[in-house]
Amino acid sequence: MNLKEIKEMINLMNDNGLVELEIEKDGTRIRLKKISSASEASSSGPVVIEREKITQAAAKESKEAMDKTTVKTVEIKAPMVGTFYRAPTPEAPPYVEVDQVIEPGQVICIIEAMKLMNEIKSEIKGKILEILVDNSEPVEFGQPMFLIEPL
Amino acid sequence: MFSKILIANRGEIALRIIRACRELGIRTVAVYSQADRDSLHVRFADEAICIGQAPSSNSYLNIPAIISAAEITDVEAIHPGYGFLSENSHFAEICDSCKITFIGPTPENIKLMGDKMIARATMQKAGLPIVPGSTAIVKNKEEAIKTARRIGYPVIIKAAAGGGGKGIRICHNDLTLISSLMTAQAEAEASFGNPNVYIEKYVEKPRHIEIQILADKYGHIVHLGERDCTIQRRHQKLLEESPSPVVDNKLRKRLGELAVRGAKQVNYISAGTIEFLLDQRNNFYFMEMNTRIQVEHPVTELVTGIDLIKQQIRVAAGEKLYFQQDDIQIKGAAIECRINAEDFENNFMPCPGKIETLNLPGGPGVRLDTHIYQGYEIVPYYDSLIAKLITYGRNRQEAIRIMQRALNEFNIAPIKTTIPFHLKLLENPLFLKGEISTHFVQEMLKEEPKGEE
Repeated sequence: MNLKEIKEMINLMNDNGLVELEIEKDGTRIRLKKISSASEASSSGPVVIEREKITQAAAKESKEAMDKTTVKTVEIKAPMVGTFYRAPTPEAPPYVEVDQVIEPGQVICIIEAMKLMNEIKSEIKGKILEILVDNSEPVEFGQPMFLIEPL
Repeated sequence: MFSKILIANRGEIALRIIRACRELGIRTVAVYSQADRDSLHVRFADEAICIGQAPSSNSYLNIPAIISAAEITDVEAIHPGYGFLSENSHFAEICDSCKITFIGPTPENIKLMGDKMIARATMQKAGLPIVPGSTAIVKNKEEAIKTARRIGYPVIIKAAAGGGGKGIRICHNDLTLISSLMTAQAEAEASFGNPNVYIEKYVEKPRHIEIQILADKYGHIVHLGERDCTIQRRHQKLLEESPSPVVDNKLRKRLGELAVRGAKQVNYISAGTIEFLLDQRNNFYFMEMNTRIQVEHPVTELVTGIDLIKQQIRVAAGEKLYFQQDDIQIKGAAIECRINAEDFENNFMPCPGKIETLNLPGGPGVRLDTHIYQGYEIVPYYDSLIAKLITYGRNRQEAIRIMQRALNEFNIAPIKTTIPFHLKLLENPLFLKGEISTHFVQEMLKEEPKGEE
């Protein structure tokens, strides 16, 4: 389950006025719970996301799930606030793609802040499992951008 | 009116601003450091952006991070609160160049009043009395003695780039003046990177009286009366009240007119405070001007009925002040106690930690501006102010009675706070009579005076 699907679930909740939603899929259980804000009119209170990877013991019950949960992963997080870009310019190809192996020092994305384009480099060697932010989406400090399997 | 504002601050003042925005129908964006992830201002805002690691330089003082957060959330204005970037003219300039409205005065206002010697000279030109002193930096002991003889002992040596009580020495004669000059210069160099000092007459046993002013972008400036902030410890305010027990209508009118005149002199915009020292013969002198909303603004709000934060936002959005000077009435009396997470019996040592038990005061005449909640972990990276307890009564005695009642209801455990200190203060006969000076707290606690020779 990736961030895009989670965002779709959040929209689903908002559209239908749901307060809590729990879905289990492919060995991962996700529970989304709305914190009610002070104003009744506001329907966009902050949403709490709890992602639980089902433990080894539970995974034994479903063999297909086992492969996905035993992979060790590391997140590359945004070192600054700004706008995330996958390529140096709109016409250029993205710096990296899913399944690509990256090296330490390799530029993996751009974060634009105050009209300055900052090249963000990987500090580790690994394989990109998932890209967690869409192109030209805002990121905050510490927000996970890439899910990497260290090599 | 703005549709979205970013609050470049934290704690109780961030909450205060968010509340004003809510009432004005403005959407809010909070910024927070990683240490403030569970803070109330983050939860109350419509959107929240993490901008950096805990230290202020990485977060609340990090201009690129804050501007970047403002850009990605598409806000129209930034409210800087107090402290942090609120009096940083460079930040105000950057906001201007990014077409984001800085809710406060102009960069020029901030720059002018930030240099203490220029502020003195400017206000003197506007006709405000200033403390007699050197007209330029004092470079050596000959100049120091000449100045001191001219203005009369006792004198106070102050750092020109100074603040926070550093680089200050009080001298009663030539001998101590000579030795203090060198130590003051050294301390100024160490604290501010600038050894320049100047000399002022030392006003003995002064009271600290400040006037709140409010100005719109069309040249209308009014004053909202005074606050008495004489209760201080090491130049930090602990308790403030409005009106002052020693300011009568005549003196208020005089101080107010001068404050407005000073603000007009520099074409001031938004909320600001002009600080005066009042000596024992009711002579007053301009001390400095603060170009921001202040911590103690609630006492003025309660006695005038005017919401200062909303006024700041309205003025920044281009609205005219909807009241004239004659419309402003000072009614009743208000007192504010600053509650800090400090152990007052142990030299006011800061006490961060988790709040396990919390019982908040309430009832008539009680206002509480705070960001704490049961289970909240007070972090050690920022100041120790955890709550402002403000009471309002028909007169000073009633406000004091309500404050005593409210402080006794206010229960925080296990961390230590200054609540017991305030209870002790409110029983003191000199305080109750209103016969105090800025030395009062240190005398009450029988502490060593700071910087006195």
